[in-house]
Amino acid sequence: MKILIVDDAEIMLLLIQKFVSSLGHQAVTASNGQMAVEAYRAERPDLVLMDMMMPVMDGPEAAMRIKAIAGDRWVPIVFVTGIGEENRLAEAIEQGADDYLLKPINFRILEAKIKAIQRNSDLQQKVREQSAVLAEYYERAEEEKRVARHLMEQMVNADRLADPQLEYWIDPAESLSGDLIASARTPGQVLYVMLADGIGHGLTAALNVLPLTQPFYTMTEKGFTLPEILVEMNRKVRQVLPIGRFVSTAIVAIDSVGGTLEIWNGGMPEILLLNRAGDKVAGWKSTHLPIGILSPEKFTVTCEHYEFAPGDRLFLCSDGLLESHLADGEQFGIERALAALQSRADAPGRIEGLKHALTDFMQGASHHDDVSVVLVDCSATSDAASEFVPSERLGIDYDSHLHVCWRFQLVLGPDELRNCSVVPFVMEFVKQVEALRSCQSEVFLILSELFNNALDHGVLEIASALKDVRVGMDEYLRQRFERLENLAGGEVEIGLELVEAPTGRVLRIKVRDSGRGFDYTSRLVAADDDSQTHGRGIRLLRNLATSIQYLGNGNEVVLYYLPKSASTTA
Amino acid sequence: MSPTVEINGKIAKVILAGQFDFNSHREFRQACESVIGNANVSEVQIDFQKVTYLDSSALGMLLMLKEKVNAVNKSLALVNCKDSVRQVLEIACFGKIFSIR
Repeated sequence: MKILIVDDAEIMLLLIQKFVSSLGHQAVTASNGQMAVEAYRAERPDLVLMDMMMPVMDGPEAAMRIKAIAGDRWVPIVFVTGIGEENRLAEAIEQGADDYLLKPINFRILEAKIKAIQRNSDLQQKVREQSAVLAEYYERAEEEKRVARHLMEQMVNADRLADPQLEYWIDPAESLSGDLIASARTPGQVLYVMLADGIGHGLTAALNVLPLTQPFYTMTEKGFTLPEILVEMNRKVRQVLPIGRFVSTAIVAIDSVGGTLEIWNGGMPEILLLNRAGDKVAGWKSTHLPIGILSPEKFTVTCEHYEFAPGDRLFLCSDGLLESHLADGEQFGIERALAALQSRADAPGRIEGLKHALTDFMQGASHHDDVSVVLVDCSATSDAASEFVPSERLGIDYDSHLHVCWRFQLVLGPDELRNCSVVPFVMEFVKQVEALRSCQSEVFLILSELFNNALDHGVLEIASALKDVRVGMDEYLRQRFERLENLAGGEVEIGLELVEAPTGRVLRIKVRDSGRGFDYTSRLVAADDDSQTHGRGIRLLRNLATSIQYLGNGNEVVLYYLPKSASTTA
Repeated sequence: MSPTVEINGKIAKVILAGQFDFNSHREFRQACESVIGNANVSEVQIDFQKVTYLDSSALGMLLMLKEKVNAVNKSLALVNCKDSVRQVLEIACFGKIFSIR
């Protein structure tokens, strides 16, 4: 240690200096308070041994100045004082001196005190170093969080959540949310909404849900089905997250035009369907394990299906909402949540009512888990519905010998039908075609309808009447799955051509299957009857297409569609 | 939470108490490792009798435990699950991969 010795008596200075040096310390001397302050400034000693009574500036005054210069740095000051100066000493200690030593000096005690101060000094040094490390660590963590938050926001993409059918609210427990809400529309305008909850909260939870975003958005936009997306998300989560990490997920597909819901719940609280009055009409509890736990072979993607009534709303939330609790352990619960939603049943901003109810319930306390809520109007708002203006009917009987600009054709056998996502695959091509760019969703709808009819009724021979009844939908899907698994023969051919018609370029879509066909004359009549659920597909096609012809025994269909952009130039 | 371990023949019971969440991580792991390493034990039971609350990180810890227990060919059961605990396990559908009694 470097020790500053201050005394106006030369002999004392010399004596203490000799002793301190003999202990292996470096000594610096000053003969009054003024000089001591200057010496401190120049030398920054680790310890000051100082006389009280000195000319020019006394000890206590110098001590105060030295402490002021030292600032945050701890500099122990020990007064060396004679008998009779006790009052002044007490004052000096109150003002910041650390210890004292009585004259005549007992060198044994001086040595012990220096050792004690050295221990203290080492400790102080360590604390200072550690707090510097801590501060640096804190800053780095904050910076990382800032980057992560930015990343999250980009991935979550609030723009896409700005859907007129959707209201949502996320309130993170920390600066980052481990809950994720995502929504996107398929080319056929079906709204997919996902609510995911990663383990814990903060950065690690946010990292857990990130792998879901990319498959969700890209696959939805390509028109993949919920089961296909779920399989991919499960694969991705298992690939990137360590064992023991998983993501509870609820995902729903809302087909406002068809009036149907498709639901998968893995580890989230019950998803509720509420009617206009806010009463529960149906609910779907978690029936699957969360994403990321099961291997692909064991992962189950069976979705539940439901037909909603006009005005129905879906309510999804994370357990953070229901389990928000006060010190006494009482939880907010679903009853309070539903009551809050009912209080503003039909007005926009229903979620505001829920927010207020939770704030009132928590009485100013903060919730310990991320809270997230989604409310979706199942019926399309006028905006979304207007996307389905049927294209102008031309009523032209097309000649099959029109000039063909290009042709895209593929034939799918049992293996391809089982394993390929056919329509999204064809859509990848359609997207590249300039003439079809502005009408992708119509082309997607037409292709989906035609292909599904060909596969389900043609190749797999499932009775379409099954779709009529609610329980039939599950039975239908079960049969479809089973028959597809065991499919040994049969094929579906899809052909797309852009042809030059007298009125402009027209898209010709041919779909042929190897099935027995059907009596299309009776079917088209039935489709005009609104009560028929299974005629809906054909009715939709007739609205979109300029011409539909069934050929052969009903196993082949040729449809003409006038692309939107072409109709403006024609 | 400080888990206690009771060994009765081939069955080792890890008794948890209070809140079972991320803060219990170290204690839970230590308690479980001691019974996993015990060659005489063939079944590990996690006792939830005194657990008041468990969160998703607890579920994660159970999944990790399952991996470790399976790796040494022992069996695992979650026992004495009260309503509040059972509810969380049910929402996560853990009944499909754990034996819950």
